[in-house]
Amino acid sequence: MTTLISYTIFFASVLMLVALGGCFSEHSGVINLGLEGVMVFGALGGALGMRYADLPPFVMVVCCVLMAVLFGMLYSLLLAVAAINFKADQTLVGTAMNLLGTAAATVIVKALNMAADPNNTSSEIVYVVPKKFFMVNFMGFEISYLMLLAVVLLVISYLVLYRTRFGLRLQACGEHPQAAASVGINVFRMRYAGVLISGFLGGLGGLMYILGGVSQWKFEVGVAGFGFLSLAVMIFGQWKPLRIAAVALLFGLFRSLSNTYNGFPFLVELNLPGSVYNMLPYIVSLVVLALTSKNSHAPKAEGIPYDKGMR
Amino acid sequence: MSEYAIEMLHITKRFPGIIANDDVTLQLRKGEIHALLGENGAGKSTLMSVLFGLYQAEEGEIRKDGKVVHITSPNVANDLGIGMVHQHFKLVECFTVLDNIILGVETTKGPFLEKTEARKKVMALSEKYGLQVDPDAKIEDITVGMQQRTEILKMLYRDNEILIFDEPTAVLTPQEIEELMVIMKNLAAEGKSILFISHKLNEILEVSDRCTVLRKGKYIGTVDTKDSTAESLSAMMVGRSVNFHVEKQPCHPGDTVLSVRNMSVASKAHKKMAVNNVSLDVRAGEIVCIAGIDGNGQTEFVYGLSGLEPLASGTIMLNGKDITRSSIRQKSIGGMSHIPEDRHKHGLVLDYSLEDNIILQNYFEPRFTKHGFLQRRAIREYAEKLIEQYDVRSGQGPITAARAMSGGNQQKAIVAREIDRGPELLIAVQPTRGLDVGAIEYIHKQIVAQRDAGKAVLLVSLELDEVMDVSDRILVMYEGEIVGEFDPKTTTVEELGLYMAGAKRATEESDLYLAGAKRKEM
Amino acid sequence: MQGKENKKTSFFSIPWVQTITASLICILLGLLIGFIALLIINPENAWDGIVTVLKNFWNYKQATKQVKYFGQTLVKMVPLLMCSLSVLFAYKVGLFNIGVAGQYVIGAGASLYCALGLGMPWWVCLMAAMVFGAVWGAIPGILKAYRNVNEVISGIMLNWIGLYLINTILTQVKNPTGKDTFTVASKNPSALIPSLGLGSLFNNEKTVTIAIPLAIIIAVAVWVLLSKTRLGYELKATGLNKNAAMYCGMREKFNIILTTAIAGALAALGAAMLFLTDSMQWECTQSSVPAMGFNGIAAAFLGGLNPIGTIFSAYFIQHITEGGAQLTKLGYFSQISDFISSFIIYLCAFVLFFRGIMNRKPGDRAGRSKKGGKKA
Repeated sequence: MTTLISYTIFFASVLMLVALGGCFSEHSGVINLGLEGVMVFGALGGALGMRYADLPPFVMVVCCVLMAVLFGMLYSLLLAVAAINFKADQTLVGTAMNLLGTAAATVIVKALNMAADPNNTSSEIVYVVPKKFFMVNFMGFEISYLMLLAVVLLVISYLVLYRTRFGLRLQACGEHPQAAASVGINVFRMRYAGVLISGFLGGLGGLMYILGGVSQWKFEVGVAGFGFLSLAVMIFGQWKPLRIAAVALLFGLFRSLSNTYNGFPFLVELNLPGSVYNMLPYIVSLVVLALTSKNSHAPKAEGIPYDKGMR
Repeated sequence: MSEYAIEMLHITKRFPGIIANDDVTLQLRKGEIHALLGENGAGKSTLMSVLFGLYQAEEGEIRKDGKVVHITSPNVANDLGIGMVHQHFKLVECFTVLDNIILGVETTKGPFLEKTEARKKVMALSEKYGLQVDPDAKIEDITVGMQQRTEILKMLYRDNEILIFDEPTAVLTPQEIEELMVIMKNLAAEGKSILFISHKLNEILEVSDRCTVLRKGKYIGTVDTKDSTAESLSAMMVGRSVNFHVEKQPCHPGDTVLSVRNMSVASKAHKKMAVNNVSLDVRAGEIVCIAGIDGNGQTEFVYGLSGLEPLASGTIMLNGKDITRSSIRQKSIGGMSHIPEDRHKHGLVLDYSLEDNIILQNYFEPRFTKHGFLQRRAIREYAEKLIEQYDVRSGQGPITAARAMSGGNQQKAIVAREIDRGPELLIAVQPTRGLDVGAIEYIHKQIVAQRDAGKAVLLVSLELDEVMDVSDRILVMYEGEIVGEFDPKTTTVEELGLYMAGAKRATEESDLYLAGAKRKEM
Repeated sequence: MQGKENKKTSFFSIPWVQTITASLICILLGLLIGFIALLIINPENAWDGIVTVLKNFWNYKQATKQVKYFGQTLVKMVPLLMCSLSVLFAYKVGLFNIGVAGQYVIGAGASLYCALGLGMPWWVCLMAAMVFGAVWGAIPGILKAYRNVNEVISGIMLNWIGLYLINTILTQVKNPTGKDTFTVASKNPSALIPSLGLGSLFNNEKTVTIAIPLAIIIAVAVWVLLSKTRLGYELKATGLNKNAAMYCGMREKFNIILTTAIAGALAALGAAMLFLTDSMQWECTQSSVPAMGFNGIAAAFLGGLNPIGTIFSAYFIQHITEGGAQLTKLGYFSQISDFISSFIIYLCAFVLFFRGIMNRKPGDRAGRSKKGGKKA
């Protein structure tokens, strides 16, 4: 039971962070389908930090988080440039970014591994010791600093989106960019901000993902669809931070069942193949989408490039 | 001090292949209401976009209070005190009225928004100018009139001195138009300078002090409104005296072609019915016109008739056959032609060639499709025939992309397609919207020719002039219901206006649709 | 017609020239980035590296080997081509078929299970793949038409569901000694797609079968369907303007579902055409959706969304992928070519921009008409 709870919380925080990232991007009017790639790059940034930095524990954690966030943001610039400046098809860019994320991260890690040892052609980064720095004992639970950070970021996201000037303007750009521009808001800049925030949160989510359970990461495998699942969380959460958090918990629960169903006698008795639990979150989101898409609260202008001349 | 608030001198703005503004001069005095008159495509919107910083002019200069200014973005325009109510409102639908007003000039306390002061100021302004709004209502829930008042408050909240109204009356009811005129006069009396863009002569005559006229991007002149008449202004606008009247013979209606009984269509925007229990007949050889202000269910009525929207209730008979449950294709084959309201949304596949658009309604006929393959040669011949017959002009003939054609020629292509099918019933929804005078005349002639050929025509129009000139019988639609039936020869525009605004309605509703039938019996 | 002769046509304003030029720019930039990556990793061999990638089978000295590896490249091009046809077919109808990867997985599962589990002949296996692929592909279409679910999101979900489903099903025909399924030849040779002597042209490469010409024929058929038939006219109209399609009585919901079903069948058939040659086996524990489907998206866009164009783009992508596999000899690793091809996809997003540049120079006609359309 405790494993189920801790897995649930772990998956939920990753999903929530990344979904919040998607949420900021979409509220600015850009669909970030490349979150999967952003996560990989965030994970890469953090892993490189853990591998090369040699710092006292807390500084180390801060440094790795900064690396992850920085990599995520830099990588999301690929989307920003293409979608905002060049008015490219956002779906295509996102798809390319997901492929490129894994391919580029693999190339980088392999190159680094080979540079260190010509015979090491793996795409793995090992971080047994630094990983421990992230863990903190909280009311008897061994949890990661990042989970606390995730909760803080949830609160901040909510406040930023609904209580600040920036949030109001960001949403205006995603709903009606022409209206925003007509009152002097720089739509391009706001959309850049939205995409960069998604890179920030997505990158952090990526780092968090590879810190769950394991102490080394093979970059060839990517992040197993978590970026996509986060998009489903965001849609199911109707682009609202608090709902996203709730949905993330639900999806986290489904996802964690696949790791822990062996511990539940009644689930074992059902004698379902393990893959059913793997499929479960995706099936649930598909069904949920089918039931809720008719009255979606998606930002009205998302996915549509903003063109100054168009009125 | 200069006597002018804003001067736009010798403005020239080019787009590739077209000169949108050619040496245009416009001088706005302080405290005046200055009308800018011109047909669609005359360059009014471009000129205002230049003033508002959305476009940069290639030549000419803009002066504010006599000093040259460079308006490089809407921000600069805002800083100079220039505000604009756009024709299509620039409001965020899911925001509240207050949020829309403060957007871009928000006040904050620490990191967070602080709206108390803003709310006070908005309420004060609303009181001062009689601009009633509910600051906490969401835009998507309020009326068009209140949305427009929100837009005006947006300008006033920013302390703008120069207010631009871009075609502000197009979406309003006559009563709301009256209110707007009063508001504009109040604003001018308070010292605001107002630019009023319109192509409606009576409104310009009523409210403005002076009027600048554009035609095809060129500056024609500026006149004092009090010395002008509708005729003199329209001559300036069009460049010749226009025969507003459509030549036509008296009508000789025959058998009933279309018969609608108790039709209701659900609304997408709200819970009420968009079309509520409408019954009407259209006979062969007559033009029946549905008049009304935009958004009173005309669109939904036609959608229901053609099959684009499902009916909530009611029956439709075409030539005595019940077609209530027929598919769009069956109705079309059964003799219903439809010139749609929105030619870009429904009427054309813009990225298809002209010829492919011309066969849109009959590509499946054996002459164009054999064994599942398109017969390109037959299609080309047919398209060339129609292009010539209906004088559809385009760069490359049948292979021109529809997107590359002018609005008038796009509409002509649709008219050609719908008429050439030889329909029993022609439904034409705002067939002349956004077209220049020549194209309007042409399309009116075609519609009358259909009537004279014994077809039934159902015309839906928002333009009262068109309603009065073209139709043989007028039905007024208000809030989804037919509220009156009129003979254009005996009724007046004023009378229609009262019905359109819901101020009057026929008492015996049940008699309405029978009126046609009764007349036939007599 | 009027005005044809006075229209100034510069070479770069011809649409197909633009398409090809834009694709070539993408390829060159992609290769350049790849070259830079090689330079950073190991500057000495960088030039040889990029040449190796481009030479692929020409890296072998003997003609017999060259032919053999050329054949292998073609074999793997087949599923890529089919996936890209699937993507472009859906795209013509306005749908982004990101679910192509899942449809590919279903095709692999259906064909292999029919072949290994049920012992059916090859053509039945191909049919089964098509049928299941069509059904799988139709799901996002149905959801789109009736429930307004974005096909991209539902497609992504279905990719993962498909992956886990097929992993489970194919575990039943797994070779107990490893993670992979049995080879078709060892269990049911009748399910191998016949070669009809084609293999002998490629130095008796066993995996070369009639799948190769069949895929090319299908590409041509897709082109004919889209550009010459009534169905193609309807589908494209639906894709370009759903409202207009509805207005003129086309069954736009049915068209959307039909399109996704055909797209699904194409991708699934592609998978079957690969796995029924024994060119590779299904790994029953794979935890990520095969990249083949996504590469299909790349090939579709690189091929200018033209069925004939995709034959070349699919070949090119497979060519550099195979070429990349030989990089290990030079002290690199094969993922460089994944990197290059994924970067090329990214660049494909800029194709419109490249075309814009070509249009801007002389005449300015196309640029203007676009603007006019928006303003009107």
